[in-house]
Amino acid sequence: MAGSGHAALRSGDRTLLSVRDLVVEFPISRRERVHAVSGVSFDVAEGETLGIVGESGCGKSTVARAIVQLNKITSGVVEYSGTDLAQLDGEALRKVRPELQMIFQDPISSLNPRRRIRDVITEGLSIWNEGSGSWTQERIDELMNAVGIDPKFGDRRPHQFSGGQCQRIGIARALALDPKVLICDEPVSALDVSVQAQVLNIIEDMKARYGLTILFISHDLSVVKNVSDRIIVMYLGKVCEIGSAEEIYARPRHPYTRALLASIPEPAETVDPSEGNIIGELPSPMNPPTGCRFNTRCPHATDICFTEEPLVAAVDGSDHFVACHHPVEIAVSVGA
Amino acid sequence: MGQPLLSVRDLQVRFPTTRGLVQAVNGVDFDIERGAMLGVVGESGCGKSVTAKTLMNLLPRTAEVSGEITFDGEDVRAIARSRRKHFWGVKMTMVFQDPMTSLNPVKRCGEQIAETLRYHLNMGHDEAMARAVDLLEQVGIPEPARRVRQFPHELSGGLRQRVVIAMALACEPELLIADEPTTAVDVTVQKRLLDLLDELRRDRGMSMILITHDLGVARGRCDEVAVMYAGRLVERAATEVLFSDARHPYTSALLRTIPRIDQPSHTRLEPIEGRPPELIRPADQCAFAPRCRHAQADCLDGIPAVVDNADGRIFACRYPANTEDGRRSYLANEAAGRTVTGLEIAQPKETN
Repeated sequence: MAGSGHAALRSGDRTLLSVRDLVVEFPISRRERVHAVSGVSFDVAEGETLGIVGESGCGKSTVARAIVQLNKITSGVVEYSGTDLAQLDGEALRKVRPELQMIFQDPISSLNPRRRIRDVITEGLSIWNEGSGSWTQERIDELMNAVGIDPKFGDRRPHQFSGGQCQRIGIARALALDPKVLICDEPVSALDVSVQAQVLNIIEDMKARYGLTILFISHDLSVVKNVSDRIIVMYLGKVCEIGSAEEIYARPRHPYTRALLASIPEPAETVDPSEGNIIGELPSPMNPPTGCRFNTRCPHATDICFTEEPLVAAVDGSDHFVACHHPVEIAVSVGA
Repeated sequence: MGQPLLSVRDLQVRFPTTRGLVQAVNGVDFDIERGAMLGVVGESGCGKSVTAKTLMNLLPRTAEVSGEITFDGEDVRAIARSRRKHFWGVKMTMVFQDPMTSLNPVKRCGEQIAETLRYHLNMGHDEAMARAVDLLEQVGIPEPARRVRQFPHELSGGLRQRVVIAMALACEPELLIADEPTTAVDVTVQKRLLDLLDELRRDRGMSMILITHDLGVARGRCDEVAVMYAGRLVERAATEVLFSDARHPYTSALLRTIPRIDQPSHTRLEPIEGRPPELIRPADQCAFAPRCRHAQADCLDGIPAVVDNADGRIFACRYPANTEDGRRSYLANEAAGRTVTGLEIAQPKETN
């Protein structure tokens, strides 16, 4: 597994966000570094929802945070509408930020408990000097209605709302500045299933209503499948597989993608349940394996996987990309 | 099968708080046969963990418990003080959600397992340590002899949970209660832990209660599943029956609310509108009625009786899903555009 390379990048005017060779490393001592993201490239077309899946430590959240420049990028390019965000700083970066908004995993801790929710939602606008005036208040009311929070509760504080309602307030806050891109980092993992459905539906509604482009990060494969047009599977800081949501689930090529699909409690029909029995533990990101990063656990690994890193390459010239020396041939696999 | 290993009747648990008495568990009944796996599912606050803690005698002293808990023919709530300390932790043990908080961070893993053996079974230090290595091997930890000397922080989440499972198995329990054992771990690790628990249960003929909010986990692993809502058990049936032909509208709504991997992308999900009721002074009505698409006027008049047609399932509903009555009540609500509780029914849906 473990892919670098630009094969999956599309050219065209519709590309809104393009990430190339993104590397994020965190120093933990004078000698050692955590290789959180190592050479990831992908792009997001305007109006598309891109899902990123992978297990803890695969770098999916780091990618999200690096795009909005919450983490310092070690190297690489994050191009948004033709500008490299990694090269911007100070006022220039501040000017772009309203266009890229984020919602987080824990809805309660991402709201200031001491503030009224109307103020929480208005704050972005106040910062841009649009916080007063009846037009703004109308817009806030409209947003609150859109996410299903009655505007008359605007004077309440976060603790008076449930987790699902707090997440909806978080969405309203993110949308207040009329962003182009919404980055959702595990937005439903802290919620109960009935509430999860409400929040996922709202994200879909908001996408349609405000023409958003969404980057949706989750460890839950069924949730990602439900909201995404395209999906990236990541493992240990690298891309394994990129393709349309239907394609990734119908014809998974990478052994790691297949292992994930076989591990969920009700496994996908396109893989054999035994493929979920991957051996060993996740290697340390301080000292990742050379060659393919999945080589320590991959049932198909051969010598080349230990010496040479597989590049992201198109499967039969389609828009399904896989980074593997031995991608699984679908013809011989179960149920395909 | 003879008498069940564990039998719970009319279990009630109340907690006094400054705002009033919280009815956390309100009349729960179930049996577990030897060697069986019962799944308990429900959302946060439905009382599934409180039920587990009641069985394990882990509730705070202020809790008011009533009802019968019979384990192997013996009334658990009346066990003599002298025998108590070697009942819980020996015959009945529990695995918790977060392995890091159930392990002592400043003690080596091996010692924590050996401690159980020395306390309950009076083993000597060396014998207990040797047994700890054995146990780690049984739960599939590689290099057990090295791992016993490690501290919890040196292990990954999956390995830590295996250590906790090893501790729970140390005294060869007859019943293992696992409360969300895989919620804090990744899917590949989850599969391995559940496979392990399944295997251990079969090898030892142990019974298990698996508490989970994940319906998929319950479906894949349990013989029988109980669904809880607002402190009550609303439906209980054999796993396949429950998932293919649910009777309680809450069960069927829960099943429809989860995204499924075999559905196309952007399939509209059906959330359950509203929120669970307050557990302080609950109204004398079906707790699910305000959120139920089947609700009729008499649903607001008293708690529905438990229906037991002796077909291996029970449910507490007057207009059950997948039946003629249920369909009629739903169609009536759909025609009116709303239920008696004011829940709006927007678009027409096919049967449920």
